[in-house]
Amino acid sequence: MGPLLRVEKLSKSYHTRGNEIKVLAEVSFSVSAGELLLITGRSGVGKSTLLGLLSGLDRASSGSIFFQEKEITGLSLAELAELRAGSIGMIFQSFNLIPGWTARENVEAVLMHRGINAAERQKRATEILSELGLKDRLENLPAELSVGQQQRVAIARTLVNDPVLILADEPTGDVDAETAAEIVELLLPRVNSGRAAMIVASHGLFDAKLASRIVCLKDGSLSETAQ
Amino acid sequence: MNVDVIACALRELRQNRRRTLAVVSGYAITVAFIIVLAAVLLYSRVVQDIVIGGTGTYFVTWLPACGDISSLTEKELADLAKGIIPAKCQEQCENCTGCNKKPYDILNEGFVVNTNTTRLLTIELAEKVARLDSLKNVSPCLMFRFRDPTNNLIFTAAGVNPQDYAVVRNCVAAGDLVEGSYLDAAQPGKILVESGFAINNGLKPGMKFSIAEEEFEIAGLVRTGVRPLNPDIMMLFADAERAINKRIHNPLEKEANIILAVSHDATHHIKAMEDVKKLLKTDSLLTTGCYWPASEALGLSERMVWGFMLIVMCGSVLFAAKIQWAAVVERCRNLAILRAIGWPNRVIAWQLLCESLFQSVAGSLVGVLVGSGLIIAVPVNSLLGVDAAMTGVLNPVLAIVVIAFAVLAGLLASLFPVLRMSARSPLDDLRRF
Repeated sequence: MGPLLRVEKLSKSYHTRGNEIKVLAEVSFSVSAGELLLITGRSGVGKSTLLGLLSGLDRASSGSIFFQEKEITGLSLAELAELRAGSIGMIFQSFNLIPGWTARENVEAVLMHRGINAAERQKRATEILSELGLKDRLENLPAELSVGQQQRVAIARTLVNDPVLILADEPTGDVDAETAAEIVELLLPRVNSGRAAMIVASHGLFDAKLASRIVCLKDGSLSETAQ
Repeated sequence: MNVDVIACALRELRQNRRRTLAVVSGYAITVAFIIVLAAVLLYSRVVQDIVIGGTGTYFVTWLPACGDISSLTEKELADLAKGIIPAKCQEQCENCTGCNKKPYDILNEGFVVNTNTTRLLTIELAEKVARLDSLKNVSPCLMFRFRDPTNNLIFTAAGVNPQDYAVVRNCVAAGDLVEGSYLDAAQPGKILVESGFAINNGLKPGMKFSIAEEEFEIAGLVRTGVRPLNPDIMMLFADAERAINKRIHNPLEKEANIILAVSHDATHHIKAMEDVKKLLKTDSLLTTGCYWPASEALGLSERMVWGFMLIVMCGSVLFAAKIQWAAVVERCRNLAILRAIGWPNRVIAWQLLCESLFQSVAGSLVGVLVGSGLIIAVPVNSLLGVDAAMTGVLNPVLAIVVIAFAVLAGLLASLFPVLRMSARSPLDDLRRF
C-alpha cells in the first residue's frame, strides 16, 4: 500500500509590493497511515503555510500533493472542502472554536451539510465529547470552558468525522505541559492503531520523542532530522 | 440550500440577538420611512390633483364665421336670408349651417365671441366632442350680441345649461353670485347679470331686463372673474334660443355657436385641446393662461416624488449593504473556521443570504406596520388644515412593493460581502482575526 500523503516538489511564493517571497521551495515528502510526522522550524518559516497547502485551504505555486494516490492540487474549492469534511482533520494552536456555539454545536458543525441527519449528528458529537470527558460540558460555550477543555472540544471536532489525516498546527503551543500531554494522549491512539496519519507543525513545544519522523523546515526546504 | 442552512441561519440570528435586532430595526425604520414618505407624497398628490388638477383645465371652442360673407352680393345675401346657400359658400364650408341665419341687424348683432363672429355648430357635433376620451365634460352654448333698439345698449348674452360642469368652469357658477339667486333650469325667464355691467346700467336683482323685446327678470348679479367666456348676461339655453330666434332670419335648429369643454386634468389639457382642434378642424380655442404652469407644476411634483423615493431607496440599499458587510466582517474568523472544517463556500453563502432574507422580511413587515400605524395615528390632513380625506394613501400594493424592494435590496446587498468572503483565503482570515 502506498503512502497516505505524498508531496512532490511543492513550492509556495507570495507576492508583496512587487517582491516575491519564496516560502516553500520544491518540498517533497510522504506520510503513511500510522505515522506521526513532526515538522519543526522557527516561527514564520512556513510550517503553517505547508499545513494550509496540505489541507487544501491554500493553493500551491507549483508542485503536487497526492492524497490516497489522488492528486488534490487541481481540485475545485468545493471538492477540497468535501475532502476536509470527510478525510482530513485540523487542529489549530488557538483551538478556533466558534465562540457563540456550544461545545456540542462546535463538534457537530463538522458533520453538517454532509447528509447526516440532526439526530445522528447530535449522537455522534455527544459520544465523542463524552469519550473525551466532556459529557457534562456539552451545552457550554467555549468561554465557559477551561483552556484544556477547549482544546479537547477542538480535538473532538477533529476526530468526530474519523479522519485519516490529522494536521495539527502547534497543538500544544498554548497549553501547559499537563494539558499538552493530555492532548497527545487523546490523539496518538488513533495514529498508533494505524487508522490515521498525523502531521504536527511545531517550533519545539511538541514532544519530539512521540514522532515517527522529524523534518526541519528551513529556508523553504525540508531536511530529515535524526531522532 | 437545505434545512440545515436555514436552521444555521436562524441559530446565528438567535445567538446574535443584539445584532439581529439592530439589523431588523434598521430595515423597519427604513421601510416605515418609505411607507410614511410614500403616503405623504401620495396624499400630496391627492391634494395637488384637487387644487392643480382642476386649475386651467377648461376651454371654449368655436368655428369662425365664413370670411366670404362680406363679399356676397345683395342677391346672394337675400337668398341666404331665405335659406338658399350660395354655391361658393357650399364649396368653402362643408356642412355649412350658419350663413343662412344672419341677424337682421347685421352691423350690431350676431353670434359674437370676444369680438369674433362665429359659425353655428350642430348639437350633434357638440355630442361628438363630448365623446373624446381626453374630455371630462362638454356643454353647448349660445352667445349672441344683442342691441336694444330702445336705448341702443349693446350687450352679449350667453345661453347655457347651468348645471353642466363645463359651464361652471368656463362661464358662471353659483359661487360667483354676489347678490340675488342663481339660475334654475326649472324656472325659465330669469337671467344673471355680470356685476360690472349691472353697475354701469343700474341693474339690480328683481328688475326686468329686455332682450329681443322680451322681458326677463334679473335673478342675481354675478362676478365671474377670469373665465374664457365673459358675457354680460347669462340665461338658460332655451331662453337664449328663443330670444336669438327673434333676431335672425331663420330659427335655430338644435344649434350652438360655442362648445364649452373641461379636460380631465391639467396633464391632459393640451391633448384635449388638440383632440378638439382635430375634430372641429379649427384653431379657435380660448383657454385660461395658467394651464401650462399648472400642468408643469404637477409634472415637477411628480418627478420630485420619484426622485426623492429613488434617493431613499438607494440609501436603503446602501444601508442594507453596510449592515450585511458588517455582519460578514464581524464573522470573518467564524466563517474561516467553518471553511477550514469543510463547509463549502456555497453553503456559507446560502446561509448569509438566508440571514439577510429573514432579517429583511421581518424588518420590512415591522416597518410596514409601524409606518401604517403612524399614518393612521397622525392626522396629517388635520395638521395641514387640508380639507381632503387621506384615502388611498395606505396602499397594500405599495406595502408589498416596499417589502419586495427591501428583501431584494437585502439580498443584493449581501451578494457583495458573500462574494468577497468566498474570494478570501480562510487561512489569512484565521491568522488575521
